[in-house]
Amino acid sequence: MSYQEKTISNHNFEECTKCTICTLYCPVMKVNPLYPGPKQAGPDGERLRLKNPWFFNYALKYCMNCKRCEVSCPSGVGVADLIQSARIKYDKSAPKLRDRMLASTDFMGKLARPVAPLVNFGTSLGITKTALDWTLGIDHRRSFPKYSGRSFESWLKKHASKQAAFPEQVAYFHGCYVNYNNPQLGKDLVKVLNALGIGVQLLDGEKCCGIAMITNGMSAQATKHAKHNVAVLGKAVDAGLKVVATSSTCAFTMRDEYRSLLGVDNSAVRDSILMATRYIYEKLENGAKLRFKPDFHLKAAYHTPCHMEKMGWGVFTERLLRMIPGLELTVLDSACCGIAGTYGFKKENYASSQAIGEELFKHIREADPEVVACDCETCKWQIEMSTGYTVMNPISILAEAIED
Amino acid sequence: MRFDCVITGGGLAGLIAGISLQKEGRSTAIVSTGQNAMHFFSGTFESVKEAPARLAEIFEAAGIKVHYSAGVRLMPMGTFREAELALGDVDIFPSERFASKALIVSFRGEQGFFTGFLADGLEKAGIACRLAAIDRSSGIKKIAAAVSGLLDGEDAVVLPQVFGQKDSADVEYLREAIPAKVVFAGTQPPSVPGIRTQMQLKDYYISLGGTFLQGDEVTGAHVHDGVVHSVVTRNLDSHYLEADCFVLASGGFFSKGLLATPTSVVEPVFGLDVDYPADRSEWYDPSFAADQPYMRFGVKTDVALHPMIAGESVRNLYVAGSILGATRPEFGTGAGLAIRSAFAVVDSILKP
Amino acid sequence: MKQNEFDVIILGGGITGAGTHRDCCLRGLRSLLIEKKDIATGATGRNHGLLHSGARYAVNDPESAEECIRENMILRRIAAHCVEETDGLFITLPDDDLGYQKTFVDACRKAGIDAQIIDPELARRLEPSVNPALIGAVKVPDGAVDPFRLCAANMLDAQLHGGQVRLGTEVTGFIREGDRIVGVHTVDRRTGENADYYAPVTVNAGGIWGHGIAAMAGVEVGMYPAKGALLIFAHRVNNYVINRCRKPSNADILVPGDTVCIIGTTSTRIPFEECDDVAVTPDEVDLLITEGAQLAPALSSTRILRAYAGVRPLVSADNDPTGRSISRGIVCLDHAQRDGLEGFVTITGGKLMTYRLMAEQATDAVCRMIGVYKASYTENTPIPGSQVKSYEEVAGKIWEKPSAAQKSAASRMGTRAADISEGDASVICECEEVSAAELKLAIDRLSASTLTDLRRRTRVGMGTCQGQFCACRAAGLLAEAHGCVEKERRDLADFLQERWKGNFPIGWGDTLREAEFTQWTYKHVLGL
Repeated sequence: MSYQEKTISNHNFEECTKCTICTLYCPVMKVNPLYPGPKQAGPDGERLRLKNPWFFNYALKYCMNCKRCEVSCPSGVGVADLIQSARIKYDKSAPKLRDRMLASTDFMGKLARPVAPLVNFGTSLGITKTALDWTLGIDHRRSFPKYSGRSFESWLKKHASKQAAFPEQVAYFHGCYVNYNNPQLGKDLVKVLNALGIGVQLLDGEKCCGIAMITNGMSAQATKHAKHNVAVLGKAVDAGLKVVATSSTCAFTMRDEYRSLLGVDNSAVRDSILMATRYIYEKLENGAKLRFKPDFHLKAAYHTPCHMEKMGWGVFTERLLRMIPGLELTVLDSACCGIAGTYGFKKENYASSQAIGEELFKHIREADPEVVACDCETCKWQIEMSTGYTVMNPISILAEAIED
Repeated sequence: MRFDCVITGGGLAGLIAGISLQKEGRSTAIVSTGQNAMHFFSGTFESVKEAPARLAEIFEAAGIKVHYSAGVRLMPMGTFREAELALGDVDIFPSERFASKALIVSFRGEQGFFTGFLADGLEKAGIACRLAAIDRSSGIKKIAAAVSGLLDGEDAVVLPQVFGQKDSADVEYLREAIPAKVVFAGTQPPSVPGIRTQMQLKDYYISLGGTFLQGDEVTGAHVHDGVVHSVVTRNLDSHYLEADCFVLASGGFFSKGLLATPTSVVEPVFGLDVDYPADRSEWYDPSFAADQPYMRFGVKTDVALHPMIAGESVRNLYVAGSILGATRPEFGTGAGLAIRSAFAVVDSILKP
Repeated sequence: MKQNEFDVIILGGGITGAGTHRDCCLRGLRSLLIEKKDIATGATGRNHGLLHSGARYAVNDPESAEECIRENMILRRIAAHCVEETDGLFITLPDDDLGYQKTFVDACRKAGIDAQIIDPELARRLEPSVNPALIGAVKVPDGAVDPFRLCAANMLDAQLHGGQVRLGTEVTGFIREGDRIVGVHTVDRRTGENADYYAPVTVNAGGIWGHGIAAMAGVEVGMYPAKGALLIFAHRVNNYVINRCRKPSNADILVPGDTVCIIGTTSTRIPFEECDDVAVTPDEVDLLITEGAQLAPALSSTRILRAYAGVRPLVSADNDPTGRSISRGIVCLDHAQRDGLEGFVTITGGKLMTYRLMAEQATDAVCRMIGVYKASYTENTPIPGSQVKSYEEVAGKIWEKPSAAQKSAASRMGTRAADISEGDASVICECEEVSAAELKLAIDRLSASTLTDLRRRTRVGMGTCQGQFCACRAAGLLAEAHGCVEKERRDLADFLQERWKGNFPIGWGDTLREAEFTQWTYKHVLGL
């Protein structure tokens, strides 16, 4: 009978068998007693919230959205999605000024870029940090990412005609970090792709992927960004282009969070959004060649960012790095660094954030590499601040390893 | 990506197969949907008597301590079960009366350690019991000191089996430091020794060069003329995993290796033939305690452990572990089924 | 008066017995309630938990409809913590006759039920799970009522007013003086001890088992057991009660209640011998899912938690040996007038909704027989826990930042949640958020002696995992409270058996995954 085929639950949260495995792998639960944990906050809480929205618990804000609960779940439950969706649906409190500032990565970048040296000087001053701590609740122990004086977009626009000359083309979602803080990473990607005979294009006006808005209670703005980005991504995809990213969080947000958290239909573009490491690995696997420097030598340890772990694509970065002659690679045990985007910047999360990262920091110190390789910029800030080790995006390592 | 062998399922069967093949120089990948049933492992291996040399070799190389001695073990609800091969954490006693007086120590505020049931069971076995609760202080030394300080003529201490998520150093330390026989009794799942064993096997597999795809799921396969060419995973989507041969060790119902609908039992990835009665009323025994017929359902296989699609063997696909149900009784049940069928699959693959 | 002498003995711990017991106690009678098993084990605990507006009966049984709407409004007042004021919809689907809607609404209004025809679009907005194909909708003041909670609170109030209860105690015979029943012989089913109790009046409130009780007293009450099967789904799909606007039929009511929703029922005559162990058949399961999906299509893809069945005590209007004139109305028989048997009253018929009125009528009869002239005041007296209407308010008064378990406790216990504010807050049942303190209170104050008793009083083990994680923890508490581990080991096995009984008829999909996990854990990991 037809009805019977349908009585397998398609309500994902009901696939939870209450086995509690997610709670073992939640980094927050280990350090923050105020957080009820992924099982309670996710599938258990969902049943209660369906009974009465009053059961929504504001402690859900302690979830870092690292998705490690989902990676460990034997039943395929979207635990973190449930938690973040509940925050979007039920948390009616207006985000604080601090949270709005932290979330507006591109707006802040635009403001800061022209006066970058001044801003960098200011945010590195003890007195400024103390003021940020008191007035806004941004922890004074944090170091801020530096702003660059010239944006990546303006650089690439200057080189647009040269890029257009390559026989093969790809679009690049650079994200706020490359644009405002680290244009060099974008240039590194252009170098590597050009070496493969591929030209790099900007999208037709990308906006911040919006992840910081989602996690800071600004889902309406995030949805606007998502719709905008899906439209501009769509133009590139319609033109037959793949879109690559160097930030695992940007890629993950656009592929998965747009649909599952914001309800924005991204089906036309999702499969075309790739991490640059996957894109390049696939090229090399299919016979493309890079000319590596014969005398290159580097001892690196690869840290898989949480969102890379969730996408399951760490394997591409790892394999790509292993193709570099002279690169001595250790793959670190997968563990969260504790920053989770803007999470660790908040005064109330600082202690948790550092406690969560400690296991990873220990592994890094044990491996004692020359650089830590990592596909995520916020992990980079956290690891550099907490361990003193230099963190490089795998693409920058690759760019250094190939002939100019 | 291309491998010699792609294994679906990162539990005991998948890992044993992956490790054995890597050791023989084959390149493999394991696709594991989240964590698995090893996290609920009781600590004793059913249907495996003495560890065969190749199993002992793997355990030793992975740093997993096991021991063999026929006897009985203490279960979390205070009962005793026959056992032969066990993880180092689990004691096997020649008889139930393993001590004359025992101190059962629990941690305050921690649930799932059934002291009342344990005491009742031990007293029935002729062991006088005393209960105590301590706060879980930080550091294994403090715990050992606190427990030692509580001893009052007892020749055994029963502690919850919650030590050593990464390795068994804490377990060994407690045994050394407490001046009485230290017995670890299981708790409600998840099982700490089970998690540790899973991690040790996984780390060993990776150290042998294996590719472990955690949190991914095989969603489909390309099968032509009785041969699997590649599998599709949720995370890698258009990037197929190609291999010469494939192993399916995706578990029973809990792990979704088998899927029951009201009218059928199916193997969801390949659509393999499954052995089960058509009439749903024959799937269950109304008694909870009885052996349940549904637990016996499994994928049909030929001598070489190839499964079938519509009666035809799939020549480069092999099946291991609890997805076999009770269709291959020669491999036993539980952990024994996982291990023994995995070895049989490996032998089939390696056969010239 | 001696220890074993009372003004009235009530047989049956369902809602009728509990309500009568309470009413008797509130009127100052020394009352003893005797129950063979536990509270709410019969039809009381085996129905939809629907707070009928009466609309369902309006066309065919206007008298019942009027009773329902009156009692509906009373229960909202006196049993706030047992009631959810959800409202209900009567929907017309394309296959149904839209013309019936007018007949229906007219009948409702005549019975005093506020029935309002609403636009189908509004219905879809109010209740997003409703079958979007609907062509008509009527909104009525239906709701949900938790029968376990209601029964336990009535018992508790009786106890607070001097009432006594013997649970697990079976009546083995009546003590007679001529044509008068003056007491009962009993046996405690747990200890095997015999005891006799005396009272000038005995009330038979045994539901379908009242047939046998009456027979034991030598009188005949024409009852007919009708089995009704229901399914519980794992979460609340709907927030309004959804009914079909047509002549009452199978599986046409979907009721949201607490964390779940329930579809039912079927109706099948069964022999008396089967009343103690009714099973749900595969055909019934299939019918319930198919028909249920007509009300809310999402049901066809929602995890089913359990299948269960209850037995309705249908009563022939009176002394009609053919049983044709079945009434759902209240039947209160003074056997002195009817059969010449003094000191014996049977209260039956009726329904969960009208339990209070049944109790009032039975107590009136008792009072008449023993010459006490006091009127019932249950209509205006809240049951324990219902002193404050909103449980959100209750929780806010007790705790500054209530946890999920504390919020859940407030929703289950009402104002009585204050009693656990200081207790052991560790969570035993994670699905339903039941704390150790709530369980301990149920053991101490609500006479729970087994895990199944605890489940009825607290929802422990009623959630998604069906006792997989909480049963062994709760068993630890019971073993401690009763000081007997061996008994608790058996109780735990019984509890798991009882859960499995409701699971295997719907044993597929995630339900089977959960069951496999549970069976494997208890047998192979825990070693029960």
